Amino acid sequence: MAEIRVEQLTKTFGQLRAVDDITFTFENGQVTCLLGPSGCGKTTLMRIIAGLEKQTAGRVLFGDRDVSRLSPSKRDIGMVFQYPVVYRGMSVARNIELPLQSMKLSKAERTRRVDEAIALMGLSAAAGQDVGTLDNGTRQKVSVAREVARQPEIILFDEPITNVDAASKLQLKRSLKELTRTLQQTIVYVTHDQTEAMTLADQIALMQDGKIVQCAPPRELYNHPDDRFGGWFLGNPGMVFFDAALAGADGHARLDSPLFPMPVAVETNAGRAGDVTIGIRPEHIRVAAEPLPGGVPAELLRKTIQIGGQYLVALKAEGAPESGFKAKVAPYHGERLPSAGLVHVELPLDQVTLFDERGSRIAATLRPRG
Amino acid sequence: MAQTTYPAEAPASATPSAQTKRRLPLARALDESRFFPTILLGPILVFFIVWNVVPLLWLLGVSFYRYKVTAARPPQFVGFQNFLDIWKSTEIWGLLGRTLSFMVLTVGGATILGMVLGFLFWGSGRMPGRRLALTLLFTPMVLPPVAVGTFFRLIYDPIFGIANFFTEKLIGQRFDFLGSKDLAFGATIAVDVWMWTPFMILMTLAALGSVPKAELEAAEIDRLPWLKRIRYIILPNGKFILMLGILLRTIDSFKTTDLPYLMTNGGPGNKTEFVGLSLYRTGFEAFQMGDASSLAIITLLIAIAFASIYLYVLSYRETRAQLQ
Repeated sequence: MAEIRVEQLTKTFGQLRAVDDITFTFENGQVTCLLGPSGCGKTTLMRIIAGLEKQTAGRVLFGDRDVSRLSPSKRDIGMVFQYPVVYRGMSVARNIELPLQSMKLSKAERTRRVDEAIALMGLSAAAGQDVGTLDNGTRQKVSVAREVARQPEIILFDEPITNVDAASKLQLKRSLKELTRTLQQTIVYVTHDQTEAMTLADQIALMQDGKIVQCAPPRELYNHPDDRFGGWFLGNPGMVFFDAALAGADGHARLDSPLFPMPVAVETNAGRAGDVTIGIRPEHIRVAAEPLPGGVPAELLRKTIQIGGQYLVALKAEGAPESGFKAKVAPYHGERLPSAGLVHVELPLDQVTLFDERGSRIAATLRPRG
Repeated sequence: MAQTTYPAEAPASATPSAQTKRRLPLARALDESRFFPTILLGPILVFFIVWNVVPLLWLLGVSFYRYKVTAARPPQFVGFQNFLDIWKSTEIWGLLGRTLSFMVLTVGGATILGMVLGFLFWGSGRMPGRRLALTLLFTPMVLPPVAVGTFFRLIYDPIFGIANFFTEKLIGQRFDFLGSKDLAFGATIAVDVWMWTPFMILMTLAALGSVPKAELEAAEIDRLPWLKRIRYIILPNGKFILMLGILLRTIDSFKTTDLPYLMTNGGPGNKTEFVGLSLYRTGFEAFQMGDASSLAIITLLIAIAFASIYLYVLSYRETRAQLQ
């Protein structure tokens, strides 16, 4: 078992800094998801860890072992690619066994590992089948099983679910979840799909422009993003932002926004006055036809139904952007809303996050002033 | 002024729509007509019929006649006699055997060398001067055979050829490469391999280029030995392009005419006389059009057989993989 440590890792392609001076530790025995939009450098970072890409500067360490200059085959890692890689012209079992043959293991040990990997990935029914006849989802399971059977210290997954058809996606995701729970290996999992990351990760490392902007367990990252980017990128739709002003002295500031009917006291050590941004998850905004105790009137623009039964509503209110904002409403409340017209919205203070002008979160407690 | 511009603009904008209206029914009729594909294929079909089908049928017809162009008698229909003569002729069987040996050795040699060099070049992405080396390596393929033939006749020359300069330096002996019964066949093969190895390098590079990068990377991470990488990744992915290269070379090598004609003129004796050269001589030196045509038909059938075997092997393996 080994943790992965990258130190001041940089990779440039011409003018582009794909990985920008990252120092980070992927914890031993944990699943760390590298999550971020396309082009944020997550795949490049993983490929440098695998040795498939050479870093421009910095080091990669597996435990105490500096692997920066080693070729991929000498790093003792497993990797599952975006495109399911199977060795053609042979059965599933033989596919899993092929790399084991180069490892000088006894026949009995090889068979034991193959059987174990097949059982773990639920491939028993397909074990004797030629891989050429399998669908992409099953092929990807074969490639996962092959890496698992080798028992490397580290397994890297590069968006393994992307090229799998919708029906197999869920099944594969479930298998991977089971697998990561059983294995206890150090796993790095690259994805741009936040649901995937939320499902599988122990830690999510959120990436933007070649840097890791925050690393935290999924729920913490979702509820308390360190900056606006995390709030915006996670969630569907992401966090809703409103401009506001923070006034007053250290410790006891006042938040001014027409979205609150009452004065709001802010307890913070940040001690700054000036423009701030209020961030709140759309599902935390309360919307009702009747007046709410901490709410303000708003105009309901549209009401649509979303997957999962929740209503997605577009609203307009004083203090909110001209283009309006979105909130998610539970079906019971959604059905009681008019299809358009006057409603009331409330931003519960315990769900509100404040960000400063640069987009960083301000550690603060909000409560009604009075 | 404004009033004068409006009427001037109106017909201008009306014209295209009027044209569209006029053209549409014809275009639509063409589009929906089931003869449309035939109309599109028409020109190439005409070309194909005039240049391929008619001469082929003519060739087939002539092969049933005893027909000597220089004789003062009209062509005489002899049925399958020309083919029977070929069947019974030990000379023709020898000729075919020699041609097949030449073909197997040249194609085999060029393929093995081409694949080895292709692999070496494939891994040399950052080698300085790679582009220049590749260009130089491809030169033999683009040289006209007439130049190559003349060039090698000079190289192999027993008196002032450079090949003999080296043999003399190395083993103290001179050879008449093209005049010796034992060496001429091998010397011709060496030139053909030299000339066509670049083609197989090109095909190998194309085949290697068609191998998905992820599969190679996975094999590297899985620590597969090189032979297994070739067997399980490179060959399954690149075999079609490689087989196509081998097929093209096989057919081309089977009908090689110019190189032996220029280097040895088929000699010494008939040691380097292959089907192509024999056809040329029968047809255009002896003017025995009937005999030449029947031999040409047999050559064509053999070439078709090669192509079919390759294509069958390729599709058979694919089908078998899908069925399993």
